[in-house]
Amino acid sequence: MKYFKKIVLCLFATLMLSSCVAVKEYKKVNINDPDMQLSGLSIKRFETNFQVYREGASGANGGKSGGGCGCN
Amino acid sequence: MEVNQEVVVVVIKNIKNKLLTLFCLGNIVVGFAQIDENVTTYKKRVLETTEVDFLMSYYTQEGSHAAVTGGVGNEELKDITPTFIVAIPLNADDVLTIDAGISAYSSASSSNLNPFDISGASGNGDDDDDDDDDDRRENPASPVIGSPWVASSGASSEDVWFNLTVNYSHSSDDRNFIWTADLGFAAEYDYTSIGLGGGITKLFNQKNTELGLKAQVYLDQWNPQYPTELDSYTDSNQDLNTGYFSGIDILNQSGQIINKNAIDAWSPFKDHLVTEKGRNSYSLSINFSQILSKKAQLSLFLDLVSQSGWLANPMQRVYFADRANFFVGNAANIPNYTSSTNIDVFQLADDIERLPASRIKTPFGMRLNYFINESVSVRTYYRFYMDDWGMKSHTASIEFPIKLALGKFTLYPNYRFYNQTAIDYFEPFEEHQSTSTYYTSDFDLSKFVSHQYGLGIKYLDIFSNFKIFGLGLKSAEIRYSSYNRSDGLQANIISSGIKFVSD
Repeated sequence: MKYFKKIVLCLFATLMLSSCVAVKEYKKVNINDPDMQLSGLSIKRFETNFQVYREGASGANGGKSGGGCGCN
Repeated sequence: MEVNQEVVVVVIKNIKNKLLTLFCLGNIVVGFAQIDENVTTYKKRVLETTEVDFLMSYYTQEGSHAAVTGGVGNEELKDITPTFIVAIPLNADDVLTIDAGISAYSSASSSNLNPFDISGASGNGDDDDDDDDDDRRENPASPVIGSPWVASSGASSEDVWFNLTVNYSHSSDDRNFIWTADLGFAAEYDYTSIGLGGGITKLFNQKNTELGLKAQVYLDQWNPQYPTELDSYTDSNQDLNTGYFSGIDILNQSGQIINKNAIDAWSPFKDHLVTEKGRNSYSLSINFSQILSKKAQLSLFLDLVSQSGWLANPMQRVYFADRANFFVGNAANIPNYTSSTNIDVFQLADDIERLPASRIKTPFGMRLNYFINESVSVRTYYRFYMDDWGMKSHTASIEFPIKLALGKFTLYPNYRFYNQTAIDYFEPFEEHQSTSTYYTSDFDLSKFVSHQYGLGIKYLDIFSNFKIFGLGLKSAEIRYSSYNRSDGLQANIISSGIKFVSD
């Protein structure tokens, strides 16, 4: 329960941040750099895959969080 | 008369001016209308051209806690995974992505599903795990030996995992709403999976804020493969004098041959193996992204995952501390059983691992990326994970993309830290009590810390000058990582990727 409270607080704080910032499209040149993308790089999928097998934790990285293989 | 003429000239001038004004206004309106029309008809395509990615990885690992042999034994594994991804723009708004790949691996641990193959196939009956369908040993004269430290040669020593996923995505005209749907299929010898998923993403606040919701279902099915001694015991109607065990001596802890008819002779702890072959996973993912400044952006992820069905691996043995031990092979090596010097004696399993029929996972993650300057940016990631099997875990990673030669090359030095607590049902080799309901000796579910160091390099061909089969090279990259786990497991992975775009 404590854990969920922290998550909700975190989400709330971030939502509050969002109301103050609006970077215009033409000012997003740095943000749009391919290395700034928030999703995982496609070549990293193999590392994520072996980690899903070799570790007990998975998910919350935009990738697989369970199922689809005989893994943990 | 002159006055009248002046009045007429003024009136004509006024009319002329009004007509000119009207004409100009008309032109402006038409012009705006045309501009407006252009705005509504011209849309930047979500994906300009077809993109093709060829990806490949080569993975190796070494360790001494093989789960198939109950937490001791050779964990050597090699895996190669050729994969291709094709993204096709169907129109300005829709993209179809096909992702297909295989993972071909050889594993010392899996090979010891039947460890006795090292003596030239095994037993009497086709539980020998060799590649033929006969009912006899390849070399009946040789003694039956096995070891958790020596890779066996049976069919289970290698396998191929195949995967195909098709994804469809649609973006709204203003690009502020995206929905996706995907369908996938994966299979290997003992496992098949059907995956279905869908998601929506909404962008707002001038595309500074993004909120995504994704649901995924995996309907999986085991084709269970068991440790050969457990499977054979069932097949021979629990008679150690027939079938697989016929003619094979079973030894006790002291190395003495036991009477197979005795009431205290070896037998599996339970007389049933897998009772439910299904394994379903349902996940709901919430993703929130926010641009914090011209140089920073953040993303938060929360997954809720519910799994049900047979969540244990039927291949993995368990040995109990409170049950007598029995062996097949060289009696002299029984005292050295857990040492890698043991190459010719194998302990018969008490049971396969047993785990609860449900598991709830709740990982929460966040990424924060910062653009330091034209040459360097920093990518960070943190995840907290917990589940109802008693595991908690922290993951943190950092990567510094460094651009060289005006962005033609990028280096990716990176580091990843990971730790986890053990699940409630984990104990090492020979430390479980048979009074427990659930038990596993799989060290992937034990307490450990791991460190991963890596370096990648990417070449970007901005103008796609290099062409092959009508496709222009967009980028090429290669990446190496070394992974070290505190229980001694060591792994290396090399990944490569080449991206092409159509003309």
